[in-house]
Amino acid sequence: MTDPTARRLTLGALVQGSGGHIAGWRHPDARPDGQLDFAFHADLARTLERGRFDALFVADVVALWGHQLDSLSRTGRAEHFEPLTLLAALSLVTEHIGLAATATTTYNHPFHIARKFASLDHISGGRAGWNVVTSVVPLEAANFGYDRHLEHELRYHRADEFVQVVKALWDSFDDEAVVRDKATGRYYDPTGLHTPHHRGEHFAVRGPLNISRPPQGHPVVFQAGSSETGREFAARHGEVLFTTQHELGAAQAFYADIKARAAAHGRDPAHVLVWPGLSPLVAATETEARRRLTELQDLIHDDVARRLVQDNIGDLDLSDHPVDGPLPDIPETNRSKSRRDLLLKLAHDEKLTIRQLAHRFAAGSAVAGTPEQIADHIETWFRSYAADGFNISFPYLPGPAEDFVDQVVPLLQQRGLLRTEYEGTTLRENLGLPRPAVRDRHLQETGR
Amino acid sequence: MTRRTGQLHLNAFLKPPGEYLAAWRHPDTAADAGVNIREVLSFARTAERATFDAVFLADLVGVPFASEDVLSRVSVVNDSFEPTTLLAALAAGTSRIGLIATASTSYNEPYHVARTFASLDHISGGRAGWNVVTSLNDGEAQNFGLDAHLDHATRYDRAEEFHDVVTGLWDSFEDDAFRHDQASGVYFDPAKLRALNHEGKHLKVAGPLNIARPPQGHPIVVQAGASEAGKNLASRIADVIFSGINDLGRAQEFYAEIKERAAAHGRDPDHLKVLPALSVVTAPTESEARDKLARLTELLPPQVALADLSYWLGGFDLSPYPLDGPLPELPVSNQSQTAQQQIYENARRDHLTIRDLVHRVANDDRTVTGTPQQIADHIEEWFHGRAADGFNVVFPYLPGTLDDFADLVIPELRRRGLFRTHYTGTTLRDHLGLPRPSRRA
Ligand SMILES: Cc1cc2nc3c(=O)[nH]c(=O)nc-3n(C[C@H](O)[C@H](O)[C@H](O)COP(=O)(O)O)c2cc1C
Ligand SMILES: Cc1cc2nc3c(=O)[nH]c(=O)nc-3n(C[C@H](O)[C@H](O)[C@H](O)COP(=O)(O)O)c2cc1C
Repeated sequence: MTDPTARRLTLGALVQGSGGHIAGWRHPDARPDGQLDFAFHADLARTLERGRFDALFVADVVALWGHQLDSLSRTGRAEHFEPLTLLAALSLVTEHIGLAATATTTYNHPFHIARKFASLDHISGGRAGWNVVTSVVPLEAANFGYDRHLEHELRYHRADEFVQVVKALWDSFDDEAVVRDKATGRYYDPTGLHTPHHRGEHFAVRGPLNISRPPQGHPVVFQAGSSETGREFAARHGEVLFTTQHELGAAQAFYADIKARAAAHGRDPAHVLVWPGLSPLVAATETEARRRLTELQDLIHDDVARRLVQDNIGDLDLSDHPVDGPLPDIPETNRSKSRRDLLLKLAHDEKLTIRQLAHRFAAGSAVAGTPEQIADHIETWFRSYAADGFNISFPYLPGPAEDFVDQVVPLLQQRGLLRTEYEGTTLRENLGLPRPAVRDRHLQETGR
Repeated sequence: MTRRTGQLHLNAFLKPPGEYLAAWRHPDTAADAGVNIREVLSFARTAERATFDAVFLADLVGVPFASEDVLSRVSVVNDSFEPTTLLAALAAGTSRIGLIATASTSYNEPYHVARTFASLDHISGGRAGWNVVTSLNDGEAQNFGLDAHLDHATRYDRAEEFHDVVTGLWDSFEDDAFRHDQASGVYFDPAKLRALNHEGKHLKVAGPLNIARPPQGHPIVVQAGASEAGKNLASRIADVIFSGINDLGRAQEFYAEIKERAAAHGRDPDHLKVLPALSVVTAPTESEARDKLARLTELLPPQVALADLSYWLGGFDLSPYPLDGPLPELPVSNQSQTAQQQIYENARRDHLTIRDLVHRVANDDRTVTGTPQQIADHIEEWFHGRAADGFNVVFPYLPGTLDDFADLVIPELRRRGLFRTHYTGTTLRDHLGLPRPSRRA
């Protein structure tokens, strides 16, 4: 990395003890009880750090992830660490890798979130990242006293105010305000304290935050909105954007759209990184890699296959339908003009069975191939402006992560795409993102 | 005094860079210890080397109100790690010591709290503890959309329901629900899962929790309430009770009362450990110990001492009253009623003026100074006198007073057979000698 302004590939890894593939935990080389094994997570984090990943990322749902016990009880989704505690613990056994996690704005309070991420940023020496979500799983509502999930627009409206409050709390103290002058006895300079006194539509938060400004100024903001509202939100606040893209053309369109939206908000598009998902399965030959993917797909239980289709198409009960038969007819009235239509059409046109459709969903962004093929894929997407980096989800663990780090990463480094040593000490520095100043924030808030 | 068999339980109350308000100014402290992970980790490791049962991190979810001049001269309330993230980091950096943190029931959601402590318990291999508090001041309330702190009775009513929801959520899965059976594809047994579906006066929480039952069954529950409502709650739910009492007679009364209340709740009184706070400065000679404390207390600006006194009296402004006059009659505190009462009792008993009281704060009169033998005598007297099952040891400045306690007092306690020489169990429950709770039917 000689030119610090040059566009450079960045990498994140989605960390789930049970692996990214729905049946990953069943693979004979996987650790079936990895989900709640801290040592296992620590080893994985160190492997990723060896591979010079920018960040590891922990997704989150504040509920049991599904209520259909027949399928849920066959997946690793039923248990996971609370993300902030996991990341704080991982910060102690790693040195460089960024530590990002989801926290929902719908079922949290901004004071706690500002504080925990500020705390994580201090503990880790500037490696924290917050994936701002408005919650996709309606089941969460019932754990927080609500009868129904908050409606989509309202969720984003709340999220907007939430993020503003959190940033104002992070900016409670100027960077230089906390002087800790033993001789004079001044811990901080009162002129450098900005108590937010926020009173908005959704929150009244006086502040200040009871911790000094995070080392990164603000922990890095991750986001994954994909609806119109979600993309607008992402373009306003997000610094690293996750997106699900299976196809180069669509990914390029998303990339261009997000960068244009960011520019329209007066932001430098280079400071909004787009990370599509990628699930690499590496083997010596393409045939071997594909065989491994098939092996995994064959481990998907029938109930889980039905569930996958239901989750993706929604609103239909497949329990009485043979999994190797076609999708049942779906009444017109239940349909919406959406992704669902496309999927139904696909199933119909290609005469896919329920199982075959489920396998497509399970494979997701899987790319099975030789190290060269995976590196080619990454390079192509990067160079053709479909991606600034990738959010990599390993189908099962730890094998595929080790294979990627040992076999694909050296190729990316040889091609000059990926760092051989970390550029900086904070996540922001490694990602090439600027450190926000307190002043910027306040100007923005008062609209000046 | 009938001597007791059994040993003490010692908890290290860590408030980096120290409990004393001017600790950050002490030449031997790191002024930024509140946000310096290497410092805090080394304190925890020292406590672990000394085989303390646990470390404890207190918490406020906001800065208490005081003048700008006063606030800008103190460290802990302005600039400290959030305790659960800190505990998780300490979990990764230690292997045996228990890890207790405060979480408020007034300004939290039980689902988050249940999850966080369950997660900590899994990460640490069964070493987590939750100090259940109802929070203290308006500065906290105003960070959560309220103008003033919830009133004392409502807080405790909510706290009890909150606790029951949290423990109910911990019991979502049976201990052996997770099979992780690759061959059959059964990850967990659905018959061993149940939703809570709680609908109460303050809270509505469906559950179930999204994590296996904690290694300890339930993380250790600590409570420090000392009011009527506080004692009642603590004696029903707590495994450990912290108290701030520093008078032997009162501590004995409190101890007897708590054990009685526990029995009245149908509990084994032995399964509720009473740990009063004990602030210690020790040195090989008495005068050295006193000098050490004096070198610390000279660092406190007088206006900070006055503000601290008014804070513990309930946040009332004392400036209109003459310093050489008696303490005025103030309304009952909505923060800590116990702290307020204790100050009044002392003032009446010893005929103290406001200035005298400020001096006591400034001189840190709660701290016991002495040789390791004297400290051990004090501890032994309280332990055998049934005023304590052990202590929540408070360190005026860190690491100095902790190092001294570990190096000087601990060996003396061990020599007397009062304290363990090594850990015999792996979980905090093991250290405390408490049974693992079975899942509620
Ligand atoms: C890689 C990735 C990770 C995500 N992680 C979470 C998560 O942890 N929790 C969550 O509720 N939603 C998560 N989402 C969902 C997004 O936040 C978002 O809601 C979704 O992409 C739909 O977009 P929309 O909100 O604009 O409708 C994730 C999405 C992606 C692509
Ligand atoms: C050792 C000790 C530690 C405490 N830690 C906290 C704390 O971290 N946060 C908090 O809000 N209150 C804390 N408290 C206050 C108690 O929770 C409680 O409010 C106080 O003892 C007064 O009792 P009452 O609430 O029954 O009036 C602590 C008290 C003691 C004695």
